[in-house]
Amino acid sequence: MPKEKKDEILYDHNHDGIDRRGFLKCMAWAGTGTFCVMKGGVLNSFSLSRLEEFDPSAMKGELSFAQISDSHMGFNKPANTDVVGTLKAAVGKINALKHQPEFLLHTGDISHLSKPEEFDTVDQILKGSVAKQVFFVPGEHDVIGDDGKQYLERYGKNTQSGGWYSFDTKGVHFVGLVNVMNLKAGGLGSLGAEQLDWLDKDLRGQSASTPVVVFAHIPLWSVYPQWGWGTEDSAQALGYMKRFGSVTVLNGHIHQTMQKVEGNVTFHTATSTAFPQPQPGKADSPGPMKVPAEDLRKLLGITDVKFKRGKHALAIVDSSLEENNQSAQYD
Amino acid sequence: MKAVMRLAGVVCAVGMTLGMSAGSSADTAPAKAPGATQQVKIDNFTFAPNELTVSAGTTVQWVNRDDIPHTVVSDDKTTFKSKALDTDDSFSYTFTKAGTYPYFCSIHPKMTGKVVVQ
Repeated sequence: MPKEKKDEILYDHNHDGIDRRGFLKCMAWAGTGTFCVMKGGVLNSFSLSRLEEFDPSAMKGELSFAQISDSHMGFNKPANTDVVGTLKAAVGKINALKHQPEFLLHTGDISHLSKPEEFDTVDQILKGSVAKQVFFVPGEHDVIGDDGKQYLERYGKNTQSGGWYSFDTKGVHFVGLVNVMNLKAGGLGSLGAEQLDWLDKDLRGQSASTPVVVFAHIPLWSVYPQWGWGTEDSAQALGYMKRFGSVTVLNGHIHQTMQKVEGNVTFHTATSTAFPQPQPGKADSPGPMKVPAEDLRKLLGITDVKFKRGKHALAIVDSSLEENNQSAQYD
Repeated sequence: MKAVMRLAGVVCAVGMTLGMSAGSSADTAPAKAPGATQQVKIDNFTFAPNELTVSAGTTVQWVNRDDIPHTVVSDDKTTFKSKALDTDDSFSYTFTKAGTYPYFCSIHPKMTGKVVVQ
C-alpha cells in the first residue's frame, strides 16, 4: 500500500488519474503546477505526481513543448516597466525545466505596437531558449495598421496566405490558427470562411485517434464576450474537431490561466509574460492590472505541455515566474 | 380638434428642443459651432463622449489616455483610420460631409463610438 501523501489520488475509479474530490486541494495548489479541469460541472484535479507513471526507458515517443504568450514587447507602463526582464525570466524558467521542451508555441501579442524593434527584441530573447524552434500565431497587437503584413513577412514563411498552418511531430497534429485579422466593429475574434475551409480540409486527412493541438491567440470559447474574450465563428472550427479522441486548444489573450473541458476537447489559456489582466467582470475593462511589485511575478508565467502516447489528454502544467522550479516538475 | 392637435404638436416640439439643449448625458454632446476642434477621450477601453454630434467642417481629435494602445477606424475601414495610438497620442479627422460615422478600435473591436455630422 503506497504511503498516503497529501497530494495522492485517493479515488481513481476510472483509472485515469483524476481525483473527483479534488476541489479544495486544487484551489490550494493553483499556480503550483497542478492541472485542474471542469468536467460536466465538476472540478477535477490531476495529481501530477501520479500522472506520469512510466519508467524512464519508455521515454521514446514522448513530446514535450512549452507555451508562452502575450510578451507585449514595447509595453512600459506601471503594470510592468520591464517586459524584457520578465520575458527573459520566462525563458530561464523554460531552460530549467527537467525535460526540456522541443519547441515553443507563442500564442501571440509578441509585440505591443507591431514595431519592428519589438519583434526583433523578442526574437533575440527567444534565441536564448533551449527549444530548437518557436512557432507563432499573431495577436491583435501584432497586426496593427498593416493588416498583418509585417507579421507575415517575419513569421509567415511556411504558412497559408493568412498565416494559419499545421504541422505534425511525434504523432501529434498541431494547428496554428489566426483569429485577429479583419476584426469587425463590435465583434469578437474571427477565423473567417477561408481559414475555416482550410481547417476542414486539413483535419479530414487525420485519423480520429491522432491527438490534435490547436493554438490561436484569442480564446476559441466564450470566456467573456463583453471584453472581446471569444471567437465569433469558433463553433464551426470546433465542429471539425469533434470526431477526434483528444483535442487540446491553447490560447492566450486574457493574461490568466483558465481551463475548460468539453467532451474530448480541453481548452487552456496561458498567462502573459508581460502583465496580468483582471478576471472576467472584476474590473471596468480588461486593461493591464497593476499589482504590488512583489506579486507581479506570481501572475506571469509559462505553460509546460507533455504528451504521452496512450494517454487521452495532454498534461498541461502552468508555473508562475516566481515559483521554485521543483514544483513545476511532475515525474 | 385640429387646433388642439396643432397646439400639442408645438408644445412637443418646444419640449424636445429644450430637452436637447439642456440634456447633456455623459455619453452624447450637442453640436457646437463649426471651426472648433472637438475632443474624444479614450480611456478604460471607452470612447467618451461615445456619441458626438458636430457641424460639418469640424475637426474631431481623439486622445488616448488609456494605458494600452488603441486605434480609431471607421466601420467601413476606409473613411478614416488612425495608426496605433499609444498613451497620450492623438489622431484628428475633419468631417466635411454630413452623415453618421460609426467607428471602432481595430485592436479591441468591442470598443465602438459614433460621430454624427450635421
